[in-house]
Amino acid sequence: MIECPSCGRRQEPLLTCADCGSPLAAPLGCFAALGLPRKLAIDLGALERRYHELSRKIHPDRFASSAAPVRDASLRATATLTRSYRTLRDPVARGLYWLELNGEKLAENNKRVPPDLAELVFEVQEQLAEMHDAPADSDAARELAAQVVARRGQLQTAMDANVAELERNFVKCDQRPDEKMLTLQLKPILSSIAYLRTLIRDVDRAVENSKAA
Amino acid sequence: MSRIFGIDLGTTNSLIAAMEDGAPRVIAVGGSNRALLPSVVAIAPDGAITVGERAIEMEPHLTVERDGRVSAVGFASGEYGAVIRSVKRYMGLGGDEIAPEDRARYTFADLSGPVVRFQIGTRVFTPSQISAEILRALKDGAERALRAAGKEEKVERVVITVPAYFNDGQRQATKDAGRLAGLEVVRLVNEPTAASLAYGLNKRAAGNVAVFDFGGGTFDISILSIKEGIFEVLATNGDTHLGGDDIDRVIVDWLLAELPDARKLDRHVWNSARMAAENAKKRLTDVAETPVVVELPGHSIRKHLTRDALDQMAEPFLARTLKRCELAIADAKLTPAGIDAVVLVGGSTRMPLVRRRVAAMFHKEPLCLIDPDQIVALGAAVQASVLMGMQGDMLLLDVVPLSLGIETMGGVMERLIHRNTTIPTSVGEGFTTAVDNQTHVDIHVLQGERELAKDCRSLARFKLGPIQPQPAGVPRIEVTFLIDANGILNVNARDERTGREHSVDVKPSYGLTDDEIERMLEEAIDLGEQDLEERLLISYRNDAEQILGALRKQLGEFGALVDGSERARMDEVVERLEAARTGTDRELIAKLVEELNEVTTPFAKRIMDAAIKLALEKKSVEELS
Repeated sequence: MIECPSCGRRQEPLLTCADCGSPLAAPLGCFAALGLPRKLAIDLGALERRYHELSRKIHPDRFASSAAPVRDASLRATATLTRSYRTLRDPVARGLYWLELNGEKLAENNKRVPPDLAELVFEVQEQLAEMHDAPADSDAARELAAQVVARRGQLQTAMDANVAELERNFVKCDQRPDEKMLTLQLKPILSSIAYLRTLIRDVDRAVENSKAA
Repeated sequence: MSRIFGIDLGTTNSLIAAMEDGAPRVIAVGGSNRALLPSVVAIAPDGAITVGERAIEMEPHLTVERDGRVSAVGFASGEYGAVIRSVKRYMGLGGDEIAPEDRARYTFADLSGPVVRFQIGTRVFTPSQISAEILRALKDGAERALRAAGKEEKVERVVITVPAYFNDGQRQATKDAGRLAGLEVVRLVNEPTAASLAYGLNKRAAGNVAVFDFGGGTFDISILSIKEGIFEVLATNGDTHLGGDDIDRVIVDWLLAELPDARKLDRHVWNSARMAAENAKKRLTDVAETPVVVELPGHSIRKHLTRDALDQMAEPFLARTLKRCELAIADAKLTPAGIDAVVLVGGSTRMPLVRRRVAAMFHKEPLCLIDPDQIVALGAAVQASVLMGMQGDMLLLDVVPLSLGIETMGGVMERLIHRNTTIPTSVGEGFTTAVDNQTHVDIHVLQGERELAKDCRSLARFKLGPIQPQPAGVPRIEVTFLIDANGILNVNARDERTGREHSVDVKPSYGLTDDEIERMLEEAIDLGEQDLEERLLISYRNDAEQILGALRKQLGEFGALVDGSERARMDEVVERLEAARTGTDRELIAKLVEELNEVTTPFAKRIMDAAIKLALEKKSVEELS
């Protein structure tokens, strides 16, 4: 139970008070914060509208002249709302959060190379290593950077394919919510995505550094 | 509740604005339509403070006298008082963080501490204190302008704008400045975001907007999505030490190239060259070439600057801004084609080169519908009215410009909140102990994008605890890092098992502690009183000097009009006053001045009579002749 700092009503944790509508500093999960059912497939347009609508109600800018406890509740409620929105907006973050809700998670250090991408991954890693060793601002470094940038496109395509598959699986999970197996099937896809993300980030950093040098 | 005002605390100029009849308007703090207050603060040897145009006159520079001689005027160095401009470049920085070119400009007290301090005479000032003087001048100027318009209104609550790319310490320093000026800072707003509010206020604008904000000392690029009154920042990037000042400096180097180094660094010479450079740069917005003249004692520097040459000098700085734009566009997950409008902000965007390059980068002509010097202040006034609940559905969702994280094993920075995350936001992180019976956990909070802690900016250190002695790994402490709507970090910690809130004593790595601010506020009040005391004492001493001097003169001329006993009485009071005059008891000085006045009144009357008699005699002689 939580007490509303505006009207004092005690109630179940919610984003806003059931009586007066003031923000509440309640610890809430991502779906609850946005007032959504626990479903994996989400219409992003509707999600954004909901986020904006709730922001208008609870944002600290709306309570700039309120008493300190109300301002504080507004700050915390908005932080919760923002975090929840960002988690649900991104299919990968949403999938990982879903695993967490179901008591699952990816291995701490996700070092397993996605089998179908092994060849591409090794090539990119080799190029990154060469870039690292190449003298800064040399022709060799620029040439390598150009090659890596070309490979980045392939990585992104692989990434997009994985995300599309993830979203197809989301629909399946929602259709048969009791089948734990379906949730477990999300894991290898999320694992591939996480791997690709790290690699793409490494590529971007390497290219950025080579430009900066 | 009093009205909230919007303040643009700029590197070069500062403005204050408010909503009038539904539209934001700047307030003429300088009288007669002058809204721009130069962000220049002069501190005289006696501590007297002057802000704005008059402070610029006190800046050390060379001036050509009527007879053609060139002489040095203004406060030359810290020993004799100082004139500080571009104080924003020093806000929130530690001594070791000042750029080399910013270091040569002033005398600093101690460059090893967590806060830069200007040494001026026997006093030291932090950048927040200097900025507080600018804020105070804006407050006083606005109150005066409002009074002249028949409105008695106090400026108490304000929104202050900051560069979007300001880090936590720079934001905190700005808030501190507000507090030191006696203002309630209701919100810090990012400058490009504020500009977007002014731009989008009446247009019911929608779409993706890029705000290119190139000012005197800082550069920001922000990409926003505007939709049904929600101004949502998608990404921001920038450089807090990149602006028109840097271009001026290159022009100065070119101007003074032939002078020996010692002359170049002379503050009178350098400042005169800087003024000439700034003026030439401004002229080249409208003309293709211009003469640049610096008059020195003995000779003058006469050169010619073309717009092409200026463009070449500015190019490296512009390239840096465009690089930042690329990064921001990528972070927003957009392409230049996906941006519907580009809004120009800041005086440096008046340069034709800047407009041309920005147009090429975004494939569209940038908009400059609102005065680029005023748009940020106007936007701050719009945000102020949002905060007063007077703008309906309008709402700003801004982001944190830099990632926030903690130092982990091996000196690696672990990111907890990524850059461009919408604020307010929070993240929880669990901590435990590494050895048995450990009673404290040290946490080092960092801000920045680099991989290693040593390459990021240290934000704060704090100790969690005391923790009950337990085997390693058993205690569970949940720490919440919360970034508020001002972009400033708040930390609190809770013991997971006991549910007890831990007090977190955050020691900022840079900047002032709360205690230091309190002390400065007290000192300011004490100093204010002390200053008043001093001023009164000085004025009484002056009175004493005046009456003593006058008496001495009169006794010399009309000594014959005083008899012995009267003279003795006078001498006795004079002697006591002479003694009191060098002391600090102003009441005593006042009393003796009064007494001396009384004793000498008959004498003064006799002198008067004698003078009249003399004048009459003279007249009659003239009449007779």
